[in-house]
Formats: sequence, C-alpha cells, structure tokens
Amino acid sequence: MSEMKKIKNLKEFSTSADRFEGANLLCPGCAHSIIVREVLNATNDDLVLSASTGCLEVCTAVYPYTSWDASWIHIGFENGSTAVAGAEAMHKALKNKGRLKQPERNPKFISFAGDGASYDIGFQWISGCMERGHNIMHVVLDNEVYANTGGQRSSSTPIGGSNTTTPAGRVSYGEKRNKKDMVAIMASHGIPYSAQVAPNKWKDMVKKIQHGMAVDGPVFINAVSPCTTEWKFDPKDTMMLTDLSTDSLVFPLYEIIDGHELNITYRPKNVVPVEEYLAAQGRFKHLFKDEYKYLIKEWQERVDANWAYLNRREEARV
Amino acid sequence: MANTGWDEFEIGAMLRSFDGKIDDIAGTLQEDRKYSPNNSFMASVADWRIEKPIFSKDFCIDCQFCWIYCPDMSIIARDKKMIGVDMDHCKGCGICVEVCPTNPKSLLMFPEQADEEAELAQWPAKDEKEK
Amino acid sequence: MAFDKMELRDIEVWDGNFAAAQALRQCQIDVVAAYPITPSTPIVEGYAKFLADGYVEGEFVMVESEHAAMSGCIGAAAAGGRVATATSSQGFALMVETLYQASGMRLPIVLNVVNRALAAPLNVNGDHSDMYLGRDSGWIQLDAYCPQDAYDLNFIAFRVSEDHDVRLPCMVHQDGFMTSHTAQGVKTLTDDEGYNFVGDFKPMNDMLDFEHPVTHGVQTEEDWHFEHKARQHNDLMTKVMPKIQAAFDDFEKLSGRKYNIVENYDMDDADVAVVCMGTSVETAREVATEMRAKGIKAGVVGIRVIRPFPFMQIAEALKGVKAVATLDRSAPGGTVGMLFNEIAGCLYNLDTRPMLSGKIYGLGGRDLTKKHLVDLYTELQANVDAGKITTPLQQFIGVRGPKLSFL
Repeated sequence: MSEMKKIKNLKEFSTSADRFEGANLLCPGCAHSIIVREVLNATNDDLVLSASTGCLEVCTAVYPYTSWDASWIHIGFENGSTAVAGAEAMHKALKNKGRLKQPERNPKFISFAGDGASYDIGFQWISGCMERGHNIMHVVLDNEVYANTGGQRSSSTPIGGSNTTTPAGRVSYGEKRNKKDMVAIMASHGIPYSAQVAPNKWKDMVKKIQHGMAVDGPVFINAVSPCTTEWKFDPKDTMMLTDLSTDSLVFPLYEIIDGHELNITYRPKNVVPVEEYLAAQGRFKHLFKDEYKYLIKEWQERVDANWAYLNRREEARV
Repeated sequence: MANTGWDEFEIGAMLRSFDGKIDDIAGTLQEDRKYSPNNSFMASVADWRIEKPIFSKDFCIDCQFCWIYCPDMSIIARDKKMIGVDMDHCKGCGICVEVCPTNPKSLLMFPEQADEEAELAQWPAKDEKEK
Repeated sequence: MAFDKMELRDIEVWDGNFAAAQALRQCQIDVVAAYPITPSTPIVEGYAKFLADGYVEGEFVMVESEHAAMSGCIGAAAAGGRVATATSSQGFALMVETLYQASGMRLPIVLNVVNRALAAPLNVNGDHSDMYLGRDSGWIQLDAYCPQDAYDLNFIAFRVSEDHDVRLPCMVHQDGFMTSHTAQGVKTLTDDEGYNFVGDFKPMNDMLDFEHPVTHGVQTEEDWHFEHKARQHNDLMTKVMPKIQAAFDDFEKLSGRKYNIVENYDMDDADVAVVCMGTSVETAREVATEMRAKGIKAGVVGIRVIRPFPFMQIAEALKGVKAVATLDRSAPGGTVGMLFNEIAGCLYNLDTRPMLSGKIYGLGGRDLTKKHLVDLYTELQANVDAGKITTPLQQFIGVRGPKLSFL
C-alpha cells in the first residue's frame, strides 16, 4: 500500500496536478467533471480507468482527443465495471508472474458510469464485480436520468420528475416510481465499503474515496451529479443545486462499512425543505400546480422517513 | 489530422495522452507535461463562451473554492494561490463566480467581448449591505 | 507463485474440449474470464482444475455472463497480457456486442467457440449457427475438424493474434459434441514446446504501462470511423494470411503436422467437389475416396480459415472442377447458405465456372451420414453428365418430411 495523499485543506488540495483535462465536451456547469476531479485528485497513485457509455464517456474520448491523463478504456454501456475488473485481474496476474513493467507502482482501478449504466443496463456486471471481490471502485455519476441521449427516465429517476419517456402532461405528473436504493443493494453484497457522496462536500468525498482506495476489495460510490441540462437549471447554479440536494437530505451523505455498519457523514446545520430543492429545477416545475402539490408533501415525508431510517441504522450499529 | 488517410492512424483508434514517456503524472504540473496533440488539453473550447470570468486578485483570499468546483480545470492554482483563469478551457459556466466568497467577488462574469483591463479598473466596491 | 509442468504422453486420448483446455494451459494464459455453457463448459472446467492442481499460474475470473466474460477479456487484454476464453451458442450470441469491440480495439484474445445451434427451439448440439453469427465481427476464425486440430489451432491462434503486425482476436471453432465430446488420440507437444511456439507475450499499447497512458475505445464519428474500419479491414485482408501460413509452416517443423489455409483433398483432378467445415470434412473425405473407387473423381475442400476468407485459394482449388456443392450447417434465414454465397463469389470471375449448388444440413446436431454424401456426389456427377444443374439450387439434407428445396 502506497502512502495516502495528505489533503488537510482546500489550499493543499489545490496543489494537485489534474489528470482530467479541459476542452472535453461536457456541458458548461456539468457536475460529472467536478466529481471526477475530486476522485482522481484524492490520490497520487497511478490509475486505470474506465467509463461506461454515457455523458462522461462520449464527451471525453471523442476522436482525435482524449481528456484522460491516465490509462482509460470504454467498451460499452453495461460493462465498464467488468472492463476495469479485467484489467485488475491482469495486474494481479502479471504481478504474481513478475512481469509488470513498473512493479513498484500501486495503481487504483476505477470505473465511472452514469445511473443508467449502473442502476439499469450495467446492474448485473456491477453486481458480478462486487460479488467477486475485485479490487476496484465503481463510481456512479448519478444525475437520475439518461442525460446523454436526451433525458429518458432510468431506475434512478425520482417520482414526479418530467423526463422525455415519462413526461409530465395533461394527465400525468411524470415519473411514477421512486428511485431504487442502489447503495443499499450494493452494500448487501457484503463489500467492504459503499458510500453516497456529493461534490459540494469535497472533504467528505475525498475522505470516502481515500477510504475506498485503502480497503481491499470492491467499493461502490454513488455521487449526486446535478445535471444542468436535464434538471433544468442555470449552469452557474450547479453547486447551489448540489447544496440543496445534500442539505434537504434528498441526497444524504453516509457510508456503509462491510455491508452493514452505517455512518451518516454529514448532518446539515439547517435542513432545507425539500420544496426548495424541487423548486430550483425545471424538471419538477409542474409539481407546483395546485393538483400536484400533494406530491411535494409526499416528497418531504419520504425524505424524512429515509433520514429517520438512516439514523436508526446508524444508532443500531449493526 | 483532418486529412489523415486510413493507413496513418494507430491501430484500434488508440490515443496517447502524452508524447513519449512520463514518469509521474500526478507529480507533474500541466506546464511541465509533454501533451500529445491528441490530448484535449491542446484543444480549445473558448468559442463556447457567451460570458467570461474576469479575475481580480485584489480581494482574493485563495480559498480555492473556484479551483475545486470548476468543472473545466480552468482555475489555475499554483503554490496554493489562485493565479488566473485558463481561457482556452473555460466554457463560461459561471460556477467560479457563484462560489466565490469574497466581498466584492474576486471573479465576475462579463460579456465575452468585454475588455479585461477596463473591467478591472471599475471593479465593484465592497457591498456593505452583505453580511 | 509458481506452477508445475505436466508430463504428457506422446499421444493422449482427449476430446476436443480437453485438448483445447490443455493447449490453454500450455500457452500460460494470464487472464481467463469465462462463463460456462454447454458444450464448451469442459474447457473452462478443465482449466479450473489445472488451476486448482497448480498447473496454471494466472487469474481465472468466473464472471456472471458471457457478455461479462468477453468484457473482462477485453479489459485484461487492453491491460496487456495473454487472454483467452471459451463459449458456445447463446453465450456466443450474448458476446456478439463485445466481439466487435475486441476486434475494433485490436486486442489479441483467443476465443474457443464450441459450435452449437442457436435457439429457438433450444438445442445443445453442434451446428454452425453461432459460428456464422461471428463472421462479420472482425475476428480471425480458424476451424478445427477433430480434437487434434482443436489442440493445435490454439497454438496457431495465439501466435498469429498476438503478432504486433496483426493484433486481432482469434476464434478457434470446433463442432459441439462431435468434436468437443468425442475422445480421440491427440498427439501432444511438451509444455516447453507448446509454450515456446507461442512465445512470451509482448505487450503493445498496454494500459498497465503507467509511463505511457493510453485511451482505448474512443468514439469516432463520420469524419474518422470509416478510416479506422478500413484500417482494420486492410490488416485482416493483407496481414493475417501470411502470418497464418508462417505459423502453419513453423508448426509443421515442430510437430510434423501440416495445416493449410484451405484443406484440399483429392482436388488435383476432381470433377466434383464438396466444400464444407468442421467434422463434415473428415466424413466427406472418406466418401470422396469411396466415390473414386466407383469412378467418380470426387474431392473435398475444407475451409480451415473462415476469416479472413481464403477467396483466392478457394478459387484456385475449384477452378478446374465441374460441379461443386457447398454444405452449410446453419439455417440460411431467407437466402442461400453463407458458404454458397462466399464460394459463388470466389468462382464468379473465373474463365470456367463450376456448377454450384448448396445444401443445408445437420441443424441442431443432426448427423451427416456417408449415405447423404454418396447421394450428393452422385447428384453432382449427374449434373456434370447432364451439363447443367438438374436439381433446385438449395436442398435440405437429412430433414424428415417432404423433400425441401428452393430456387
């Protein structure tokens, strides 16, 4: 194990030399990029990366340009996790056989994928990787929608969002199902570490990424990634939206160690009403019509119940 | 590369990030790297911008909020100091301005055509109404 | 870590699956990512047992699907090492997406395909439906006719696939059950001979070289994609055959066993010929010899290399023949069989063209009997005697019910 990068404060963090480059084709204000930077800059170790098909992938490796200063692979929509797992297996094999070109190095294997590529089409591949115990980290850039293809619902899309395949209309308020709890599902594999992170809470994120890199075995990270294009807010407001998501507890920040021990890692001093989070996004605009206001109330109740559940899990220490 | 024939590419459409060998990427700042022409660092998205950020160092406290939250690796921080904006890679999203905590802000958005020196000369004063 | 060598007899009694598993062991694969499916499962099981007994050093990743198997192989191959797996039928079909990605990224991976029918209706036995499904995927495809071939062609596959001038993945096909589960005498190489023939893996554009980071699997739209696919096609068309021939030549020097890109049998003066693949080649050869005793100058063209297709070699082999039948072991889905199409293409521009007819046979593992082939050669001779094709162009062989023919 190489020494963990010391990041005491933001000034110290800002001395990092980015391994993800600009002039990629992500939208102005895209949170994906902020998350990727915080993950990659959490370590100085070498990296082997993958991206599943999605915004991050199609915007960062469009011929003849790559935005990656580390080895990187994309295969398909569903199998980025397995691509990195294959590379990790090769690293293990060559290490045992004494054939690594730079045997002293201690690379980290990280797969990035959107919620569509993780919650939906890549679900089985990720589950396989988690179950088999590869030393990899899978990071979901969770923007709750297929943003790359223009805003179709995924199983991460929350109730009431208007998306192109579940649009709000004369007789519909949009998406009818609530998002699935991917962190819990992944933790149920008994993996050493899973966590939910948000880019506004960079210190919490870096701590979790470093913890994930230090443990032996698969790690699952779900990162909230507000999407200026599909959530419909001004690109300058990405961090404001991220703050609203964490401080309304719509995206609570917590970790699950060894599949059971849950720790809440961020408790907002002033909890923001969910209504404010919803009101800041065009995708929920229709919920503020009189006939759908009950949905906002239900939203708040759901978020409160989830927060209470997480607190009970944390207290129970099981 | 636009006129490159089929026989002139690397097989598998493989791209290299750097020209030649690089020993310690995470320990090498951008200005010291030998980027390959295929690295997007060598490209520019300046023409995406409608508005651009202008940085006034007079009020900057080097908190690095703009650095950490910039989605385009365009806040140049060296030795823990904010020293400017990379205008080849800034897409003009305006996040840096939103997260800047100083009063007055040390970064403000202006139309792409605005004259930097002129804007710096008339930078807003401290807003006393703010807390 | 270390591993033990295995002492083999000069001739072992192996089925095609075990022969392939032994070849993989001797080639010292770095990563095998695999998923079991009948009839290829014993390759994976055999490899797992070698690992459990300490005869293999490397990572063996039992994934959750064939798609993941090839995905893992792609990641491992891009990382930089020797990679192989095995599959059949539905599993092969599930892999198809990733097959194109492996070849497009120019990654040397060896895939043993134990040929089996594609559902529906479900069937576990050997036909060439899955093999045909992969024929546009940009892989090299070699075809074994018996367990000995399945063993030998694996060495050829690694040697050619990993060559830096080639860097294309390679399938080794064998017929499900007929080859994979039929034990025959297999002449062996020693572990050292086998390994030295393929040699040490030489990495290229490897992700684990941290001093030269690479990006694999980029997006190329209309302004780049055509050139990259053209490059890939060019390399398949021009670079692979000479390397296969060189590998066959070296292999003959090592083992005394001679392989050819097209396996001609009694073709020098043949009037009538059958073109086929897999186990049918051996049956056809036996019948051709018997037909010669009856005065019919019969020959057999066996396809050894399916991709790149040996267009010129086949045209050369068939140019003096009067009547040719192609044997396709796959439901043609609304046209003539794949081999009929390919062979017709080879023959079309010749000065003298043989008469060409196509047979569909053996679906779902239905036996191709000697009687079928006797009838076939007799029919071809009748065409020769009549100076024209006397039957419909496409006929089904060995199917119950009213005679089925088209065109």
